[in-house]
Amino acid sequence: MDIIIYENLIDIFAVAMLLLSMFAMASSRMFQLIRIFALHSLMLSALAFVVATYSGNSHIYIICVLTLILKVIVIPKFLDYTMEKINMENEIEPLIGIPGSLLLSAVMILIAYVVVEPMIGSLVTIGSNCLALSLSIILIGMLMMVTRTKAMTETVGLLLMENGLFLGAMTISYGMPLIVELGVFFDVLIAVVVTGLFAYRINRTFDSVDTIFLRRLKE
Amino acid sequence: MMFAIELMLLVPAATALLSLFHSKRNIVAYISVIGSCLGLIVSAMICMPTFLDGRVYDYSLWYVDSLSALFLLIISFIALMVSMYSKGYLDVERREGSLTAKYEHYYYFLLNLFIAVMLSACVVNSMGLLWIIIEGTTLVSAFLVGFYNNEHSTEAAWKYLIICSVGITLALVGISLVYASSIGVITETSSALDWSVLFAAASQLDPTLMRAAMVLIIVGFGTKVGFAPMHTWLPDAHSQAPTPVSALLSAVLLNCAFYSILRFYLISEITIPGFSRVLLLLFGFVSLVVAASFILLSKDIKRMLAYSSIEHMGIIAIGFGIGTPFAIFAALFHMMAHSMTKPIMFFTAGNVIQGYGTRDMESIRGLKENMPYTGFMLTAGTLAIVGAPPFAIFVGEYLTISSIIDAGYWWMAVLMLALILIIFAGFTMHIFPMLGGSTEKEVHEYKSIVRAVPLTILFCTTLFFGLFMPDQVYDCFETIVEKVFGGAL
Repeated sequence: MDIIIYENLIDIFAVAMLLLSMFAMASSRMFQLIRIFALHSLMLSALAFVVATYSGNSHIYIICVLTLILKVIVIPKFLDYTMEKINMENEIEPLIGIPGSLLLSAVMILIAYVVVEPMIGSLVTIGSNCLALSLSIILIGMLMMVTRTKAMTETVGLLLMENGLFLGAMTISYGMPLIVELGVFFDVLIAVVVTGLFAYRINRTFDSVDTIFLRRLKE
Repeated sequence: MMFAIELMLLVPAATALLSLFHSKRNIVAYISVIGSCLGLIVSAMICMPTFLDGRVYDYSLWYVDSLSALFLLIISFIALMVSMYSKGYLDVERREGSLTAKYEHYYYFLLNLFIAVMLSACVVNSMGLLWIIIEGTTLVSAFLVGFYNNEHSTEAAWKYLIICSVGITLALVGISLVYASSIGVITETSSALDWSVLFAAASQLDPTLMRAAMVLIIVGFGTKVGFAPMHTWLPDAHSQAPTPVSALLSAVLLNCAFYSILRFYLISEITIPGFSRVLLLLFGFVSLVVAASFILLSKDIKRMLAYSSIEHMGIIAIGFGIGTPFAIFAALFHMMAHSMTKPIMFFTAGNVIQGYGTRDMESIRGLKENMPYTGFMLTAGTLAIVGAPPFAIFVGEYLTISSIIDAGYWWMAVLMLALILIIFAGFTMHIFPMLGGSTEKEVHEYKSIVRAVPLTILFCTTLFFGLFMPDQVYDCFETIVEKVFGGAL
């Protein structure tokens, strides 16, 4: 295949991830958010496939399959399960309303582009322009963690950040050494289980998963 | 020695499993103490050759030089102290009904697992694995922070988990940038994140990418070190965890996070000299300012100690920020001094809190009569932690300040001295009134050998390092500065 096709495919998937991040910021239902995350991961997996075919690095195929299994299927299932277990209402209560959140996300994208600008020249890989997209996704994930109050939305925000991170690693350096990436996957999985356990605990102790109640510790 | 490092990691891991599955509750505490004793012996056996003849272990996944050895020794030593103190602490908790016996197995399991994970942080070669392990410490210790399972500790554990995970994700972005900067320089990609390989190729790494990477890495791991303004999880976690765990978090975990910064600091000092030094200086001073102001306002004794950890991490960061061989020596010494001194404070605070049933310093009075031994240790510990002579922290602070002056930054030295004095005032203002006065409460000192021994050992150690600097110890630090940081004292 022509290199331009690869480049375009990578761009399409990366942009789709960014748009899904924005969509996640705009969603007001928890189950919808989890679906968006699954789709987000699916895009990442597809992107990994393209990068793997282009660069011929066989270990990226492994990442592609792992993303598909863990982030598209297992983790969303686990999140659904936790949600049902704690009987959480579906509503997401943002601290900042949806229009405001979207505006802030746009600001994040701008910041990402400004920050990345001087680094582009140092990158040699095919999708190096995706670094700005990756940073935007990370920043939007962070924004989501700050502006949403439910424990589970914070987890999803973290997962979105991690997807952005993988996008970055994949496009600027064709992934990291395999052992490291496997370890990171393992960590992400454990982190989701641990946050799920704690969300359950918060629900039991406070009778709500709203982290707004977690404001009692101060001087 | 073959498999020495594996053995060192295996000891606490085996202890963890044993304490989970052993049926007798009262044996479990002793298993943990014996396990950490063994752990200390094994790590001393590994560390001594690195100091004496500069030996470097570099095989399979591992890389241990004298810098890692210093951290390993501190971890194993403090782990032993904490194991001992935990026995006395948990006995009282169980008697008062705040923890059931069932939880004791679980506690020692998590404690030893936490120690094993921290030890492995200091021995891995790959910086990617280092990241995974540091995230692992968060995941394990979150359960220890939330151990009491009440509103406050759940909140603290959640904050800890979320804030540190976000911080550490940023660090991973930084690490992937480091990896990207090595493309074309290091051909064997599967080992391109190994510290020994990166360090050897450091001068050829891409400076633009390294600069961005260092910002992310220092902010990311700095969250875990407790640099202000990313410190917000720290006072909550330290104050809500069971007291022995607070000591471990403060004296050891923060060091481990600092260790990961140091590894990247060493690389970046070759690629982009001075860049990470400025960042460390900045975070160091911000941390000192934040710590000083919150120490003055503190009411809760453990929160105050947590802010004091932020202060000391700040001082260490300033030492590395100055970056002359003398300053690095000072920073390493200060790190050790802090690790020896802070547990004294947490252990005595634990005694006081269990005796009085409150953490509010204003409602604790009459320590001198009610708890003479704890009172004495608290006074000594306070003097030690604020940097009064003749304790080790005094030496650390003195060396740091003189290294700043040597490097020619007078105003920094003055600023740091002023902030340290404020903290001194804050501590004495809060702690010393607790000694005198009287209280209506029925208070008695929980006397037990496992409480007294670790306190006495730590007290003697910090006093010893305050008064003497034996040639052997000096040589150890000199080896680190020369061999790892490449500077002559």
